Amino acid sequence: MIQVNKLTKVYNGVTVLNLPLLTIPQGESFGLVGNNGAGKTTFFRLILDLIEASDGEVSIEGQKVMRNDSWKTMTGSFLDEGFLIDFLTPEEYFKFVGKLHHKSEGDITEFQDTMRDFFNGEILETKKLIRDFSKGNQKKIGIAAALIGEPKLLILDEPFTALDPSSQIRLKRFLTDLQTRFNMTMLISSHDLNHVTEVCKRIVVLEKGKVVKDIETGEDTLKELEAYFAV
Amino acid sequence: MLIIHLVSQEWKKNVRAQGFYRNLAVSLLLGIFALYMSVIFLFLGFSLNELLEKAHNTLNPTELFNGGMLYILLCGLAIRFFMQQLNTVNLPPYQVLPIKRSSLINFLLLKALFSPLNYFLLLVVVPFAVKSVVGYYSAAVAVRFVLSFIFVVWFNSFMASFLKRKYGSNLLSFLLVIAVLGVIVALEYFEVFSLFHVSKSVFGFIVFKPYGLILPLAAASFAFLLNKWFFAQNFYAERFNRKMQGDKVFNANLSFLDRFGVVGELIALEIKLILRHKRTKSMLYLSAFFLLYGLMFYTQPVYASNSGMLFFIAMFMTGLLMFMYGQWVVSWDSAHFDSLMTKNVPVKTYLSANYYLLLSFNVLCFVLTTPYFYFGMKIVYMHLAAFIFNTGVNIYLLLYLCTYNTKRIDLSKASAMNYQGTTFKSFLIVLPIMFVPMILVTVISTFFSMTVALWVLTILGFAGIVLRQPILKLCVNQFNNRKYKLAEGFRQGE
Repeated sequence: MIQVNKLTKVYNGVTVLNLPLLTIPQGESFGLVGNNGAGKTTFFRLILDLIEASDGEVSIEGQKVMRNDSWKTMTGSFLDEGFLIDFLTPEEYFKFVGKLHHKSEGDITEFQDTMRDFFNGEILETKKLIRDFSKGNQKKIGIAAALIGEPKLLILDEPFTALDPSSQIRLKRFLTDLQTRFNMTMLISSHDLNHVTEVCKRIVVLEKGKVVKDIETGEDTLKELEAYFAV
Repeated sequence: MLIIHLVSQEWKKNVRAQGFYRNLAVSLLLGIFALYMSVIFLFLGFSLNELLEKAHNTLNPTELFNGGMLYILLCGLAIRFFMQQLNTVNLPPYQVLPIKRSSLINFLLLKALFSPLNYFLLLVVVPFAVKSVVGYYSAAVAVRFVLSFIFVVWFNSFMASFLKRKYGSNLLSFLLVIAVLGVIVALEYFEVFSLFHVSKSVFGFIVFKPYGLILPLAAASFAFLLNKWFFAQNFYAERFNRKMQGDKVFNANLSFLDRFGVVGELIALEIKLILRHKRTKSMLYLSAFFLLYGLMFYTQPVYASNSGMLFFIAMFMTGLLMFMYGQWVVSWDSAHFDSLMTKNVPVKTYLSANYYLLLSFNVLCFVLTTPYFYFGMKIVYMHLAAFIFNTGVNIYLLLYLCTYNTKRIDLSKASAMNYQGTTFKSFLIVLPIMFVPMILVTVISTFFSMTVALWVLTILGFAGIVLRQPILKLCVNQFNNRKYKLAEGFRQGE
């Protein structure tokens, strides 16, 4: 699904990301962990072609992402509030994104209904603009919008932070469900080792832009990670 | 002691704002403009005495000025109501600290008086007082004259901020104020009720009586207390903010755009953006004013022979909205740029949507300026040529050059004279678009004729319209090359 080749990103002479080779196969749930400044968000932005690689390339389904539009049809993503259009109501936003994926009004309403459980009654039919919602609810809106086009690839940056405990549990269930039902490829970064080991089958640890661990999730993974991050 | 801290923190806020130094060039240009205006005002101040002496045969200049004072007061109030930015201290972080709320509010209110912009008109008033009032009356009267003017400025500043906080500036209040001013002028003109005479006696009292200054000082204090009262009523920032954000959400039906597919969706999105943000809305109001520019220029015989200037005006008006909106055509989307770049929006579609939006603005302004056809066939030809040139050339220049505006635009900050997001580059973008055609017309009409000049521009315009696809392709390539710079710039807040 994703092929990373000799990817480096240099800011002012400092290499913030250096990934010689990384392959993420279709249907894999890929968890990315690392302390602040490890290069997680930089990696995601490079995949989404929001920053220019200093060297190397990323391909999605064999297509290089750089200056290319074709990967956008199969990719859903939510990194931060910049991925929302905050002067719309949630319904307007979902409709807008849905139309970009050539969905009918009926499809979009149906989609919203499947999200009701996740939204916990706080988002739809409130007539509020997205900018007036709390951070947690904005995150829910962003994650939902990323799913409208039935993406093959989903990229989420720290989806669990700012969510309340119930929503975190719902989101975990929801993501696992998407994996089993649609075989969706997922890239999830998180600071919460518990959540990420529960949701992802493969965990990659970044430190200063380099992969230091690449492990299949098993029974001991959480312990191994905790040991690694212990100070 | 506390006030000193607050002042120093405000100063730090300004100096430490990102882009303070980057914007030095813009500040420099604005500074030059301010200097230019100062010189003009000073000149006016020194010559006002002679002007007013000729204006009326029985009243002396001071009396005439006093008669105009209430008009100055009202117009000043109206202008402030729309243009003056409300002073804000970000209250919540201070609210939790052990600072008396009243000191905060006093600081907030009095800060406004220290803006030098308030006292700009003193450049006219002081020379006039020195030259004319001293001459006709005495130095003491002149001092009172200047002081009364300063108190009026204070009154206006307080009153405007109170009215603005209480009622907010929207289209309705805008029309209301214009209507009231219109009625007053009409009453004066038809000699039903003369504000001039009221003003003359009121300000005569203020200036000539030794204790007269109490009156404007009392008025300023009253306006100050009104503000205090307002803050006492709205103790919590929450309630206060609700008032500020209570703008109604525009909810018109844009479903007619559905049939245009993704391009239609994007245009609907931009229209919502324009109508749901203060900055873009005030841009619309301002445009309405600029549409009247033609009345100023087309009626002046001085300009009738200056073909370059006339064409500039024609092009400016027929492309008004297109220029105002178009110079930041990508930057308007800066807050949700990442969203548009990762959602299923091909770059070509995105630029086409912006192209059609600019095109419709262009058509709209052309239609709105058709009343100017009344001024003769020359204007008709000029507007047509300008319209075609805008459609065929300038529209692409805007789409191409706007990719150099890499600063995030904060849409929630309001109104006219808002230079946030303006950099030196923004000027460099607009200058060629505005002035190259003007120079072209001047040169061609000097060597050949105006008709030839207009035909050249029309043909260039038609060429652009015919070559739409390849030129848009160029713009797409340019956008793709600049995309990372744009995304990076837009992610950096102020």
